[in-house]
Amino acid sequence: MLRQPLSRALALTSPVRAAPLTARRFADQVQAQPEKVEVFIDDQPVHVVPGTTVLQAAAQVGVEIPRFCYHERLAVAGNCRMCLVEVEKSPKPVAACAMPVMKGMRVKTNSDLTRKAREGVMEFLLVNHPLDCPICDQGGECDLQDQSMAFGSDKSRFTDIHFSGKRAVEDKDVGPLIKTIMTRCIHCTRCIRFASEVAGVDDFGTTGRGTDMQVGTYVEKMFLSELSGNIIDLCPVGALTSKPYSFAARPWETRRVDSVDVLDPLGSNIVVATRTNEVLRILPRTNEEINEEWLADKSRFACDGLKRQRLVSPMLVDSRGNLTPVDWEDAIVATARALRDCPPDKLLAVAGDLADAESLVALKDLVNKLGSENTCTEQYFPLEGAGIDLRSSYLLNTKIANVEDADFVLLIGTNVRFEAPLLNARIRKSFIHKETDVALVGPKVDLTYEYMHAGDSASIVKDLATGTSSHAVARRLEQAKRPVVILGAEQLRGPEGAALLAYTQQLALKLHDKLADKSWKVLNVLQRTASQVAALDIGYKPGVGGALQGGPRVVYLLGADSGVVTREALPKDAFVIYQGHHGDVGAQIADVVLPGAAYTEKRATYVNAEGRAQQTLLAVSPPGKARDDWKIIRALSEVVGERLPYDNLDEVRARMSEISPALVAYGDVQDNNYFAQATALAQSLQKPLSGKLDVKLKQLEDYFMTDPISRASPTMAKCIQAVIKQKQSPY
Amino acid sequence: MSARQAIKVGTKTVKPVLSSSHAEARNRVLSLYKAWYRQIPYIVKDYDIPKSEAQCREKLKELFIKNKHVTDIRVIDMLVIKGQMELKESVNIWKQKGHIMAYFKPTEEPKPKNFLSKFFSGNE
Repeated sequence: MLRQPLSRALALTSPVRAAPLTARRFADQVQAQPEKVEVFIDDQPVHVVPGTTVLQAAAQVGVEIPRFCYHERLAVAGNCRMCLVEVEKSPKPVAACAMPVMKGMRVKTNSDLTRKAREGVMEFLLVNHPLDCPICDQGGECDLQDQSMAFGSDKSRFTDIHFSGKRAVEDKDVGPLIKTIMTRCIHCTRCIRFASEVAGVDDFGTTGRGTDMQVGTYVEKMFLSELSGNIIDLCPVGALTSKPYSFAARPWETRRVDSVDVLDPLGSNIVVATRTNEVLRILPRTNEEINEEWLADKSRFACDGLKRQRLVSPMLVDSRGNLTPVDWEDAIVATARALRDCPPDKLLAVAGDLADAESLVALKDLVNKLGSENTCTEQYFPLEGAGIDLRSSYLLNTKIANVEDADFVLLIGTNVRFEAPLLNARIRKSFIHKETDVALVGPKVDLTYEYMHAGDSASIVKDLATGTSSHAVARRLEQAKRPVVILGAEQLRGPEGAALLAYTQQLALKLHDKLADKSWKVLNVLQRTASQVAALDIGYKPGVGGALQGGPRVVYLLGADSGVVTREALPKDAFVIYQGHHGDVGAQIADVVLPGAAYTEKRATYVNAEGRAQQTLLAVSPPGKARDDWKIIRALSEVVGERLPYDNLDEVRARMSEISPALVAYGDVQDNNYFAQATALAQSLQKPLSGKLDVKLKQLEDYFMTDPISRASPTMAKCIQAVIKQKQSPY
Repeated sequence: MSARQAIKVGTKTVKPVLSSSHAEARNRVLSLYKAWYRQIPYIVKDYDIPKSEAQCREKLKELFIKNKHVTDIRVIDMLVIKGQMELKESVNIWKQKGHIMAYFKPTEEPKPKNFLSKFFSGNE
């Protein structure tokens, strides 16, 4: 089976191209290092492993060679010729990105020949590149602009004496996210390589030769991928730009604030670009441990949802049952009265998908001070056995980056592609470059790579765990040296959830016992939301089912918008308090609305699926009268008469570290253990499984709207429309 | 800065502004206070301010007490000079009603201090 595109298979593979992370080397991976060769870059000696390219060797001594087509995370193409350098005893300049080093090679990156070669390449590129920089969205962050300034000729020989015009190419329509101005394309083929290697959609390619060469999709077709936005970043010129951001701003006008994404459980690192207190766009920030330098489309393009459907003023239900805007004083007093009059056992707090750790802590402290223990999250997790007492039971223990080193990945009831697109990209990466095999128990879905489908009934997991399965998957698991089992948290909701978890734990433990490398973690539970791990760490009970049975009188919804709590499920006279940032499912059923801040509007902590705490920073201020979430709860506590003992963020975080130091260890992820103990506690739960595993997000159109922010986003709505339309097309 | 220079600066004797001793500075402060005190009835009358003499005396005391922590003779002297300038402006009706009332800060709202009032005022 040929896993990689032909170009990649034939290209030179260099050993250092795999991200050089020391943290994720495992015992049996240490190979004898081949002897290093010495090369000279501008007379500076450097020792590199054989197979390194000239460009990488130069990078090691801090010499950056200009390039357009070369990208360190993609296969080498070597077609832009910008990286030409002079090599001594070589008759012609060589392409540094594709040329492996040889012993004693002397490279001159700044000689006359090299400079002349660059100028020539630049001149050829510019002959067929339009001079529309003033109206080009890439202006200011354009590689062609920058490099023509740095390496181009100072004058042009291009005189269009016959007025024949420059090359012009028809624009393509690749969907509502990416705008194409193909005349600007310089044929670097980065987008083609990204689509086929990382996104796994082999739709892009080139047609024609020479001047007639065009990059496109052959037939007009949408780029059906959840990672499509990354080709905008990859494009070195303005051929591929962001449609929602088109003509919005120049890069030097925007203020960039580092932050963390919360629309999927991975917590990808992002940069929020803002101007005039508005989020203009979201770009990925490199973090090798999580998202490398990619970003999923929902995280990137749902930011226009932050400006729509916002709750901007506190609201109180009036005598006719309509929510009317009121002052903070009135809203807080009304809420406080409801909380004070409520018998403690009838008080229920529900945390939603986007709640940050600070407000989770404040709300739990308040509810506990009022004498209630009913704090829940919307997503369910079985409490039987070890439940949430052992952190390893509900985390992605292998860690995202380490999935690359796995040799067999078993997915149970999860469509990783849409639940955590960048985790899927990692699995695909190891599938392509490292011969990793993947098996799936669950509904047949398109994961962008081939996998063994073991069926969709839950009993398969039981058979695998007890060793009674004769399926090929069982054999492969037996042989695996670094297996990874990923269980989708969505499957744990039903009555069989506890048993499924118990069997998965047993399977993982069984596999772990056979491993030579005991530090390798096998068991992973992939949560669905950004808040769940922090909530479980803090001590929220997963799932509201039991709490709703008790007939709560006052329900405090902290951004609970997934529709688990409904008016029908509550007693008639129940008082519903909603705190959150979007007018969505939760605010509709509320008696009081307390407007909070979205993730771009506060400094807040989120813990991702691995258990890694990260913080978002304040990029824009909350709209209208909206306030920081923990402050609303803090103010409320004082009016209720149960003052919480923190007045500023540092004090809240001190309180968080009392609960769990992991909540404030930003960027760190702790290793987890106690797998055996969790399995032992779950022994009695191993009941026969009969159900079928099903996932919510099956198709690309299911992916785009999953939370209040993306549901409010017009771009996401357009995506769904476009995907549905594309599915009806014959191509 | 070299060590010699540092010593020079450290032991520099300063030129007095007006007073050469604490007692002298104290006398100046007291006489300024008395002058203001005697002027108060005229200020109330001339400027037609909505304050009584008692209120003005209270404010005078408050403004003097505000600087009671000052021990540097030169600073005390400067404050006295500025006080005298203010007084002269008041006596000669170089000021207007608003300038006198500015001592009472009628439009200034106290800043919210505790968490709750900060929250409600939107400062938090």
